[in-house]
Amino acid sequence: MGKLRTEEFQVNMGPQHPSTHGVCRLLLTMDGEKVVDVVPHVGYLHRSIEKICENRTYAMCIPVLDRFEYVTAMSCNYVFALAAEKLAEMEVPERAEYLRVIMLELNRIASHLIFYGTTAMDVGALTPFLYGLRERELIVDLFEMTCGQRLTYNYIRVGGVSRDIPKEFVPKCREAVKIIGEKLSDYEGILNENPIWIARMKGIGLTDPQKAIAWGVSGPVLRAAGVKHDLRKDDPYSIYNKFDFDVAIRWNGDCYDRYLVRLDEIRQSLKIITQALDGLPEGDVRAKVKAKFKPPAGEVYVRIENSRGEMGVHLVSDGSTKPLRVKTRGGSFNQLQYLPEIVRGKGYLIADLVAIFATFDIILPEVDR
Amino acid sequence: MGLYKDIKNLLLGMKITGKHLGRHAVTIQYPEEKWTMPERSRGIVVLLSDKETGELNCTGCLLCMRACPSAAIRIDAPRGEDKKRHVKKFDINFGICCFCGLCEEACNFCAIRMAPKYEFSTENKDDLTWDMHKLQEMGRDVDYVDTRKKKIPKPKPAIEEKPASETKPAEVKPDTPKQEENND
Repeated sequence: MGKLRTEEFQVNMGPQHPSTHGVCRLLLTMDGEKVVDVVPHVGYLHRSIEKICENRTYAMCIPVLDRFEYVTAMSCNYVFALAAEKLAEMEVPERAEYLRVIMLELNRIASHLIFYGTTAMDVGALTPFLYGLRERELIVDLFEMTCGQRLTYNYIRVGGVSRDIPKEFVPKCREAVKIIGEKLSDYEGILNENPIWIARMKGIGLTDPQKAIAWGVSGPVLRAAGVKHDLRKDDPYSIYNKFDFDVAIRWNGDCYDRYLVRLDEIRQSLKIITQALDGLPEGDVRAKVKAKFKPPAGEVYVRIENSRGEMGVHLVSDGSTKPLRVKTRGGSFNQLQYLPEIVRGKGYLIADLVAIFATFDIILPEVDR
Repeated sequence: MGLYKDIKNLLLGMKITGKHLGRHAVTIQYPEEKWTMPERSRGIVVLLSDKETGELNCTGCLLCMRACPSAAIRIDAPRGEDKKRHVKKFDINFGICCFCGLCEEACNFCAIRMAPKYEFSTENKDDLTWDMHKLQEMGRDVDYVDTRKKKIPKPKPAIEEKPASETKPAEVKPDTPKQEENND
């Protein structure tokens, strides 16, 4: 019998694929069932947010940037407000800073809960998805109570926050923190020692710290590879240096560690929120901003630690009411770039690729902008 | 031994199911049960009317139109013979509205408000553009604190588009949730 002739073939995974978390096309080169190479094709969700911002005043940019990374829209609001404040050298009231930190951390937890749910669902478990979204609802309700929206908040503004929290916010927030803290053991109980979960996650998608840094990867993906890099500690913004928390870190750099790092981060965020609620001062929530806000001409780059890595805004102003240039940076883009490097030549199956893509926690609006 | 372990694990799983058996569902049965949105929810944009006269509060100052990031508001308010603006047309296209609430903050006259209402889907795209009368009817039952200055100056020609800080209405306690925003 003659030898079977085999050849590589190409498969499109996406653009509409449940496990690509958005609209991303992965062009896979397959050798049988093994993935030889992967080329991500992006741009399906391009909405030209940066260009839209150039035609809007500073106040109008914030609802537009809500759509930049809608899973953690508070961060998008915040990073733009921070850049504008830095340009104008504006002081923000202390209560507003505390409220911002509370909202940012709540949003980080909500984002990680979505990660927890969707990753487990991609790998084949449905229960974690329901668990994660059930607890996320508590947080989303808090946001709606405060600013009126569940996804695109438009809450953090230049000079502070749009309005003060309602009276029942603090007790409800404490209750939510307590519930999420208790449920975390449920989350870990259902997955951490699950043999299927371990088989699908451990040793899959190994990242190399040196190469990850070279590709510009940041956030939980980098911390899971053993690099202690957290902008809340390394380059403190807002009032993060007032709070006592640890940087969650793991060393193996596989899918399993990326999952553990995020669960640890939820715990640390809960710690920060509790401290912020305890120390919440009274006072104004917004500095006086002129109706026509005109920062002086100049340029500034600010960066914050988002749940998906470093999020930054490069803002150039020419002294008018509209920004001259808004360049945004999201963590997902660099992680998506790094994806082919860790998949190529390792002989992973498509199912492994799904797990890697899910634990990178890439969100496509942030990639395409 | 393997069988025992399996049965044990099965029972363990059933225990969790049993725990949830007596509980109420997290979800609600939507068409029968309705969910009340929180007071601050940005559900739909409405126009408010005066509590006594029932006329629109809107003075046609165009501040909300200028604050809108997606240009969803179209106002036609020409100056009449008395040199005051009269609102002829006030259309909001909810197809492009992004529900950011900036119009509500820009308004100094308690005229436009985001109300906690929902269920406005339609089969026809054109029905998403609401005119003045529909917006006013939607706002009839929306309760609000009137923070306008009681006396609207008659002899003066008109209320020009002053910056928000100058036409600041009466001080309201910062705690009241219905506080009219007057910044930006």
